[in-house]
Amino acid sequence: MFLLPKGNPLYENIAATKVKLPELLDKLKGSSFTGYLKFTFPSALAVLFFEAGKLISAMLEQEGKKSSGFEAIAGLCNLIFGGGGSLSVYKLSKDLTMCLHAMIHGDVLYQGQELKLIDIKGLLERLKAQRLNGCLRIYTDDRAALIFYKEGAPLGFFHDGSTDIETSASESQKIAGLPGAKIDVLSTKSADELMHYDLLEMVNIGKLWESTAGRFATERDQIRREAEAVDRKQSDEQLKELEDDLKEVAVAYLGRMGASLVDKELGDRGGRAILRDASQVAEFLAGMERGSKMLTSISKTKEMLETMKNEIAERTKG
Amino acid sequence: MADISTVDLIQIIFWFLAGCISFYFSIGNARVWTSISMGFFLIFLSQLYVVEKALDAPWTAYTQLEAIHYIIGTISIMVMTHGFQEYYIFSRTLELGGSKQAVYLTILGLLAASAGFVFINPEPQYTMLRNIRMIENTTWVFLSLVNLDMVRKIYLQIRDSVIARGFIAFGVVFVAIFLWKGSELYLQVYNWDTDWKLIMLNLGATVPDQFMGRRDFSVLVHDVAGLLSGFSVGGTFIYLVRLLR
Repeated sequence: MFLLPKGNPLYENIAATKVKLPELLDKLKGSSFTGYLKFTFPSALAVLFFEAGKLISAMLEQEGKKSSGFEAIAGLCNLIFGGGGSLSVYKLSKDLTMCLHAMIHGDVLYQGQELKLIDIKGLLERLKAQRLNGCLRIYTDDRAALIFYKEGAPLGFFHDGSTDIETSASESQKIAGLPGAKIDVLSTKSADELMHYDLLEMVNIGKLWESTAGRFATERDQIRREAEAVDRKQSDEQLKELEDDLKEVAVAYLGRMGASLVDKELGDRGGRAILRDASQVAEFLAGMERGSKMLTSISKTKEMLETMKNEIAERTKG
Repeated sequence: MADISTVDLIQIIFWFLAGCISFYFSIGNARVWTSISMGFFLIFLSQLYVVEKALDAPWTAYTQLEAIHYIIGTISIMVMTHGFQEYYIFSRTLELGGSKQAVYLTILGLLAASAGFVFINPEPQYTMLRNIRMIENTTWVFLSLVNLDMVRKIYLQIRDSVIARGFIAFGVVFVAIFLWKGSELYLQVYNWDTDWKLIMLNLGATVPDQFMGRRDFSVLVHDVAGLLSGFSVGGTFIYLVRLLR
């Protein structure tokens, strides 16, 4: 992924799940914010550019796939509700915002041109003559530098490892001098022209947010219901195992009538589910005691009840 | 003081022991056992009249008391049969109901009602007493067979439980009781019993000495089975106490 100059950070690394996107965008619109919002997710990155309170572009890169505009905003809403992301907001100058916009959304004039094969001086003069708004990306396999231009004049330099725009061209020159260095040239419209676009006007973000929230709520409900069903099933299976074990204990002490006695005493009280209720368990054990006295000695009855009590307590705790 | 035979004496000692053990057993156990053990305890009360007569107790002059003793004997087998019925129901349905107090009160009520019945009617003569005794023996014989079948069914139902062997012992008890009461009934039905002989003597007649072999054999069976009954009841309850404590 690409690095962007941080400019003046307003917020950094806020949990994205805490963000209510429509409210945040409204707030930025109201304050005529210029800069960008960067949402970072484990497998995605979204950048929203603002210029004077207008959302001039939105870009989402997810698992190597890029999207923009409505699609990017919709994807961003999904990612926010999905959880796990963070948000940073950086204030930038109008010109730099334009240049960053060029870098991400700009028209590609040259791509992957080897520097040693082109006349760099001539290129720069052409850019100056064409009054280019945009950026030059100079890179090798492991290093990159950006040079931002406004109306053909360089605004500043940005490279890997720096956090902000620099005025020195030394790093960019170093990279340009490396063997195999390449160059991309990207252009965009002027800042004033970009301001004719406002995604906030074009996309009903509030509605998009609500529908995403509704969909996620439904999905969450569905997941919760499924989880509950699984829990119930697991719980029922555990109780079934417990009931079987209680029957085994009863058979060991009372013979085969022991199993029938467990069945009856549980059945009279509403089934094996009562094994989770302490008072019902006490009644169940009292019933077992009454029946057991008819079939075996008091000492064995006590021993059996103690075993059952421990088994129930052990298997139903928590 | 009237005579008491050695057999009667030994028998009454056994019944006394059996009565005490069964009554003690009824105290600490489930309600169903109360009916069964109280039934056996009532046999002792019923048999007590033999001792009272032997000791020439003043109240033995009242034939009503003799009648009441026979009635107690009848009630005793009915009460224990009810107990075995309850146990059988438990072995099939695992349902237990009622209370010990209800058992005690019902028995007291039956005894009181029987005494009332005897006292509001004319004083029983020897022939009537013999009739009452025959009814007692008939009831015993019939219900012994019923109980034998019930004990068999209960055993089959609970045969792998600790108490199961106790029911084999009850089977032995009812076989002994069947022989004890059955042999006496046999003698009564054919007018070979001592009471009939006395009644005939009072009337100036005699009972012909026919079929003495089977009559003597029946008396022997009666005496031996009577001893065995008391002994087996006492033994059974001692065994049950050991099993269930």
